[in-house]
Amino acid sequence: MVNPLRLLVSIALFAIAFAHGEPNYVGSAVCKTCHPNVWANFYKNPHYQTLALGKPAPQSGCESCHGPASDHVAAKGDKTKIVAFSVLAPEKVLDNCLACHANTLGRANIRRSSHTTARVACNSCHSIHRASQPKYLLAKPQTALCFDCHQNVRAQFSLPFKHRVIEGFMQCSDCHNPHGAAAPTWSMGVRPRMVDTALGNEQPCMKCHVDKRGPFAFEHPAVRVDGCESCHAPHGSANARLLRRPQVFPLCLECHSGGAADSGFGRQGDGIRPQSASHNMADPRYRNCTTCHVRIHGSNADRRFLR
Amino acid sequence: MRRPGLALCPLALAPILALAQQTVAPTGARVGEARGEDVGDYNVLNSFETGYRFLDVGGNRGKYRSDVNFRNGIRLLSSSLSVNSKEGRARWFDTLQLNTQGLGNDPYQYSNLRVEKNALYRYDLIWRSSDYFNPALGLAQGWHAMDTTRRLQDHDFTLFPLGAFRFFAGFSRATQSGPALSSVQLFDSRGDEYPLFSNVDRRQNEFRIGSEVRLAGFKLHWIRAWESYREDTPALRETRSSGANPTDNNVLNQFKRTEPWEGSTPSWRVSLLRDNNRYWGVNARFTHSDGQRDFAFDETAIGTNRFGGAVNRQVLVAGTGRRPVTAASLTLSLFPAANLTVTNHSGFHNTRIEGDARLQELDNGSLLNSLVSFNYLGIRTFTNQTDALLRITPRIALRGGYWFANRRIRSTERESVFDFANTVQAQQTNTQHAGVAGLRLQPVRPLTLVFDAEIGRNDRPFSPISDRDYHAFHARAQWKQRSFAVTAFARTNYNFNTTSLLAHSSRSRNYSANLSWLPRDWFTLDAGYSKLHLDTATGIAYFASGRFVQGERSIYRSNLHAGHFGARFAIRSRIELYTGYSHTQDSGDGRSVLETPPAGLDPGSSLALFRQAQTFPMRFLSPLARVSVRINSKLRWNVGYQYYGYGEELLDLQGYRAHSGYTSVLWSF
Repeated sequence: MVNPLRLLVSIALFAIAFAHGEPNYVGSAVCKTCHPNVWANFYKNPHYQTLALGKPAPQSGCESCHGPASDHVAAKGDKTKIVAFSVLAPEKVLDNCLACHANTLGRANIRRSSHTTARVACNSCHSIHRASQPKYLLAKPQTALCFDCHQNVRAQFSLPFKHRVIEGFMQCSDCHNPHGAAAPTWSMGVRPRMVDTALGNEQPCMKCHVDKRGPFAFEHPAVRVDGCESCHAPHGSANARLLRRPQVFPLCLECHSGGAADSGFGRQGDGIRPQSASHNMADPRYRNCTTCHVRIHGSNADRRFLR
Repeated sequence: MRRPGLALCPLALAPILALAQQTVAPTGARVGEARGEDVGDYNVLNSFETGYRFLDVGGNRGKYRSDVNFRNGIRLLSSSLSVNSKEGRARWFDTLQLNTQGLGNDPYQYSNLRVEKNALYRYDLIWRSSDYFNPALGLAQGWHAMDTTRRLQDHDFTLFPLGAFRFFAGFSRATQSGPALSSVQLFDSRGDEYPLFSNVDRRQNEFRIGSEVRLAGFKLHWIRAWESYREDTPALRETRSSGANPTDNNVLNQFKRTEPWEGSTPSWRVSLLRDNNRYWGVNARFTHSDGQRDFAFDETAIGTNRFGGAVNRQVLVAGTGRRPVTAASLTLSLFPAANLTVTNHSGFHNTRIEGDARLQELDNGSLLNSLVSFNYLGIRTFTNQTDALLRITPRIALRGGYWFANRRIRSTERESVFDFANTVQAQQTNTQHAGVAGLRLQPVRPLTLVFDAEIGRNDRPFSPISDRDYHAFHARAQWKQRSFAVTAFARTNYNFNTTSLLAHSSRSRNYSANLSWLPRDWFTLDAGYSKLHLDTATGIAYFASGRFVQGERSIYRSNLHAGHFGARFAIRSRIELYTGYSHTQDSGDGRSVLETPPAGLDPGSSLALFRQAQTFPMRFLSPLARVSVRINSKLRWNVGYQYYGYGEELLDLQGYRAHSGYTSVLWSF
């Protein structure tokens, strides 16, 4: 049953609104007469803070997002008379949300992010009134949200060796910024996209794998120049240590094969050194490169990463 | 009056939660009154799921622990606590949210806490722990196994989260500890390899403070951070070892290595941004970190060489490494018309890795005292990207862009540690140009089509497998209605990197499709399939039987098929049944048995050496089923079973079958 008092207030506010030609703000008290289900749990919503702080209607409550509602009320709930996010173009959704949420560092690059250019807007992932995750108002658990579109990544996380995303230990946002990363500053810069840097301007891998961070007296240049992905598949792999090959020696040889002086490969630009002549690949012993070259990410004591 | 169907909207989301779940426990179902209980000025919503996990593993248990690792025992499988002030003006806090998963003894434990007082403060904590067990059988003869625990925690505190001035403080800690194996090669290039025992102990702490101030429409944000890192992972071998090669006469009698490593990375990050202007937006960022690590290395090895002579070797190294990193970026977004967005992004990144060190090596009385040639490596990258998005109509949009990157690598290294004269200094630059184009269509409201293409050229890639001449295509189609969504996706990535002596080609093709259907409250369905194809062919050269073999190719083929299926049924809101199946299979290049090299084949031929390494057919599957019975409005009983099966086609040394399950009680109030 509609509370008669509420109805009276609504009609009064509605009349006031109609006294002016343009839509006016009627206040959240009017909205809850028709949307009690939304209102009932709204105090648990972070957006309720604006109401709790007593800010005026344009900056608080329902109309701070949905716009002035007098026409919507007059039209008995016509969606076209209000900012209805369910029918709004993605660009308009972004504009509306960024009116308040733009000035946050994590969203500084949202305008140029891959999600925005692919018309993935805020309400593709966030559900303001029906969030399953109170924190950040996500429509689903983060992993499920990302997998909805990134099916190929889901497949990678289903491999035997993987970062524990499905198990709940990690989340996609540990490495990626879904609102657009600041500046990919490794590899050649333009790729990869949406990967967030660690605080020290490094690959996000270094947030957890701090022992690989260095600086080392003898760096493995591929790690620093092209990044961890030169050898590892970060989402998942069928191979131990998330390696891109089932055995180590083909992985090593694919770079360490010399190369012509015109190749430009390597830190000196004249090719990457092949293995030592003392190695005999016909002998299985020499096919376990990292048995001897144990410090393959970098060493402080041996230029060949032997210790 | 409350409308029950809508008032319980969190309950309606339960099917979605269930479908997203890949591990059988914790249970996705919810019980109880979703509105919670009112306690004073607060509303409290709480749930606990506690139960017993059971496990039976046959086959390679080490591989099971590496892949899955769930164990027997009592667990707090999940818990959730939400406390919200009803008026939003409580005295100490207005919101408290605590979620946990796997506490007790699960290998993957996670909890997060948020406490917030509206407009005054916000505190976030994320704590997690992972048991990392990796036998690494395919690597280094299985000598690099690890059984460590990694624990991470992040604390973030914000003062005045809605104000024009905000203050931040934070602390993060990451540790890794536990036993591991390693190996060492002694005493010279014709020596032998020996397994070692090590005790991993790594600790990282980071403190940060910062603030944000809003002035004239701009927001200035700065953070100052101090990271410290300490590692002390000694390696030890106290017993005599003949090494990996019994025919070799080298013997290691005793080995000890200590290598403490400690340092700090103070950093600054300053950002300036504005994005609430009708015609433009701008953000700029500057960061600088100044990493430094002090290290010492002391290694003693006592044994006999291949001629039977006594060998004692001690290596002492001490020094300092430094890595200053400076990065800056400027992004300018222009909105000249309501339907046009143009964004330009410029980025700069400069890294220098430098240092100094002393090395002392004592070898059977001979004394060498030298500087370690701390190799200098400097990388400077400049990038510029311009992207434009034109919305021709509300349902048709075009995208185009040009991306440019220039990288300079400077290097100084010595050919030999003791050879001061032969110092090699090098500098190289490479430039990458890439163009992107895209089309977004929405022919009818539920259907979205996205097409993207990218083509790039790099004039001097760093390694044979780096991007040189590459192109990528990407298409996505999505049909999404209220209870039904179908998504299809295709992506190809081709890269060719050819020089006069070596050729590398990499072709990756991904296809996937997914279906989600929620026709009724009591029935939901989710299914998907992905095919990830990768084939690479790379020119290689190597030594075999004293001969330098060139002109060979390393060919790798992977044909990965991954499918998943999940269905949820609810019977009269009392019984909920969930069944799921996940199947991942790499069919490789189609072979199912190892090929034996033909007799008399040249040992330098890749046919003999590499064929078995070039494909890795395997399968990893996991069906699961779960029944959840609602006992009363606050209590649910759950039981579930999940099977994990892993096998390799060519040489199944790591296969296993694991029967896991759980029974639990979920209590909500």
